[in-house]
Amino acid sequence: MISVYFLILKRFVLLTLLQGLLFNSFDLFGSYDPYIALVFILTFPTKINRVTFLIISFCFGFCLDLFTNSLGINAAACITAAFFRPYILNFVFGFFYDPHGVKILKNYVSESTLYQQTLYVLSIVFIHHFTMFFLEAFSFDFTLLILYKTFVNSILSLIFCITLISIMINNEK
Amino acid sequence: MQQMIDFIIRKKDVLVYFVLLFFSIAILLNSNYFHKSKIILIANNISNFTTERFMLFNEFFDLKNINKKLIAENLNLKNELEKIKSKPFFDTISSANFSYQNAKIISNNLSSFKNNLVIDKGIKDGLSREMGVINKDGVVGIITNISSNYSYVMSILNIDSKINAKVKRTNHFGTLQWNGLNTNYVQLIDISETANIKVGDSIVTGGMSLIFPEGIDIGIISKIDQFKINSIDKNFTNKKNNKLIEIESAENYFDIEIKLHADMSNLKNVYVIESLNIKEFKEVQKND
Repeated sequence: MISVYFLILKRFVLLTLLQGLLFNSFDLFGSYDPYIALVFILTFPTKINRVTFLIISFCFGFCLDLFTNSLGINAAACITAAFFRPYILNFVFGFFYDPHGVKILKNYVSESTLYQQTLYVLSIVFIHHFTMFFLEAFSFDFTLLILYKTFVNSILSLIFCITLISIMINNEK
Repeated sequence: MQQMIDFIIRKKDVLVYFVLLFFSIAILLNSNYFHKSKIILIANNISNFTTERFMLFNEFFDLKNINKKLIAENLNLKNELEKIKSKPFFDTISSANFSYQNAKIISNNLSSFKNNLVIDKGIKDGLSREMGVINKDGVVGIITNISSNYSYVMSILNIDSKINAKVKRTNHFGTLQWNGLNTNYVQLIDISETANIKVGDSIVTGGMSLIFPEGIDIGIISKIDQFKINSIDKNFTNKKNNKLIEIESAENYFDIEIKLHADMSNLKNVYVIESLNIKEFKEVQKND
């Protein structure tokens, strides 16, 4: 159990620094940053109960906010993504998903189709981005703009997240 | 009572979610005032400190380019100096309305609707709110929030920013805004109906608010939206090519798109403009 928390701490620090210092200044196509920090929520061990998961995601989002001068936006987006994750896991992986956490990340990747993985990552990324952009604009006047930015940025983040997860799988024993 | 406790225990993750959501939105609202709250300043001072250290590496690899740009700018300034020296006398009364200070960009953000920059000078260096920030190519933004060592600059690429600007050739005034889409283009609105504007005209600051001196470059007109104009005088549109537009319509609003001179994604050194007469100016305005 302790080793699981150690793994979480390692990912927490590495992903926060990577996102805050490197990926926030990517500015692809002018104004899009890929959010690889979401890998933290995507690969969070299912063994740990939901309340702890929510609180840890809140801290994670808050740390991301410190780098972007936008207190609260990422925190709200991260807990929303974390809150919906069990439902999405259940929906995408069906009977294959076990809430008790016997299976680890490697099993999920090796025993499911690419279609399932893409759907899972895309739905989490979409929920996170929509919440984030909505809170950033904070009004209904920019709905079309928010949706447009959400779609483009989701696809970018999807590519980067899947790449990063596959790198992580190769390095994990 | 027992049932209530059971219900809370069963739905505890939903409850925790809403408590945390409420908490994060409370923080968000707190930091969203025009005068941002002190929490964000304290938190950002910490992150600025780390980002500043990290920037040293980035800057090191960029030194060659920065040097080139500085040399070019020096040359330009020397030429200006020569022009001043060659004048027969120096007017001491009307000169020096503005003073300049250099500063460095610590963090720059382009990905949101409300983009902000952070520069490495603050109250200690004599800055205050509502000072203009430019770089050698053009306008960058206005200081909106300030701490003892850092200043927050509302970028020109912020949907809340409104800057007074004018067309250099015809001297017509308008307001500069951003629609949140493309980081290379901003929009100019409220240009007078009688203005005779062409694609390619220079846009400069208007000097109405004393934040920026008059005549600092912003960009050039790249597109004039023709759909907004209802009744153009037919004689003019037939004679001239479609680039020239004579505005004869009753419509008092139309879209002008402006390409910025300054590359907002690659800012390193900027200048902060301090207006020496702003106190006097505000007093005069109050008396009106």
